[in-house]
Amino acid sequence: MATKRLGFIVKSLPYKTEASRLAMTHAIASQTVEIYLEDGDMVEPVVCFIGDGVLNCLKSQQAMKHYGVTSLEQHIKNGLLLDMKLMICKEDIDRLSIKENSLVLDAEDIGGETKAEIVPFSEIQKVMESMDHLLFC
Amino acid sequence: MGKLTIGCFASLVGSLTLDFAVKLSEAAVKKGHKVDFWVSGNATMLSKKGQKAFKDYSHLAKTLQELFATGNFQATACEACAEARGYHKEDTMEGWKRHSMDWYLASCFGADRVLHIGGD
Amino acid sequence: MKLGVFVSDFRTSVDILDRLQAEKMGIIFVGNGIYHATVKEDGKTSPVLEKKASFYALTEDLESRGFSGESLDSRVKQVTYSDVVDLIFNDYEKLVWL
Repeated sequence: MATKRLGFIVKSLPYKTEASRLAMTHAIASQTVEIYLEDGDMVEPVVCFIGDGVLNCLKSQQAMKHYGVTSLEQHIKNGLLLDMKLMICKEDIDRLSIKENSLVLDAEDIGGETKAEIVPFSEIQKVMESMDHLLFC
Repeated sequence: MGKLTIGCFASLVGSLTLDFAVKLSEAAVKKGHKVDFWVSGNATMLSKKGQKAFKDYSHLAKTLQELFATGNFQATACEACAEARGYHKEDTMEGWKRHSMDWYLASCFGADRVLHIGGD
Repeated sequence: MKLGVFVSDFRTSVDILDRLQAEKMGIIFVGNGIYHATVKEDGKTSPVLEKKASFYALTEDLESRGFSGESLDSRVKQVTYSDVVDLIFNDYEKLVWL
C-alpha cells in the first residue's frame, strides 16, 4: 500500500489559458484514480497557488454567466468539498493587494468543511519538498 | 531503466512545446526507458488522425507511430478534452488511448519521473 | 530536494524561479528559455544565471534559433535531448516546467 503525493503548483492566470482549470480538474480526478491502482494505493493531490496564480482564488467570478464555463472559484470549492489541501501564497496576495475576504477560502455554502490556507511561500516550499512529483501549471 | 510520465497541454503545430515533449519521449525510449505520454487541453489534437506533413509545419504523427511500435511508449488523450474539441473515438489515430484525467494520476503514481509541461 | 527546472520562456516565470530552493538545482534552458543563456540585455547577462544552480541549454533549440555553443554564456553547458534524459533520470528527482 502506497500513497504518492502530487503537488499541483498553480502559477497561471485563469481563463485566457486553461492551465489552472486543468490543474484543478486533474487534482480532483484523484477521487477516481483507484480504479487503475492496486488495492490500498492512493494518489494525494495538494494544490498551491503562487505568483499571479493566486488570482484564481478571487470570489465572485462570473465565468458561467458570461462564457458558460465553470469558474475557478467553483472548481476550488469543489476541491475543498472533497477535502483537498489548498494553499495560497501570502506574499503574493500581499504583493497584489488582495484582501483575505476577497478570496474563496471555504466551501461552506455547498457543505464543505475544509478550508484553504493562506501561508508564506516558505511553507509552500516545504510542501514541494515533501511531494513525490511536482506539476507546475 | 525507468519510467517517465509526461503530461503536455500545449497546442499542436502552433507551439513547438509539444514537439519538445515528443522528442524528449523519443530520446528516453531510445535509451531504454518507458514513457507514458498524456495529453489534455489543446494537446489532444495530437491524437487526431489524418495529420498531413507540410514543409513549413511540424509533423509528429510519424514519430508517434514509430514510438508506438517500440512497445515502450504509450500515449493517452483526455477523452473530455478531445470530445469538447470535436475529436471523437473514430477520429483518433491508431495507437492512442482515450481516458479520463485519473489515468494521468495513475501514470504519475507508477512513474520514476514526472514532467508536467502544461499549456501554451 | 534535487530539482530540475526546465525554463522554456525568456520573459515570464523568472520571479517564480527566483523563489525555488533546492539542495541541488539544475536549470535546463529549452525553447525560448535558451535566450537566457545567449543574449545580453543592456550589456548584462540574464539574472537567472546568478542563481545557485547548474545550467544547461538544449542544443536543438539553440541551433534552431541561430545560436551555437560559442554563443553560450560560460556558465552554461550545452546538452542534447539524450543528455537531458540522463539529467532527468540520474541527477534530478523532481522536475518543473516554467
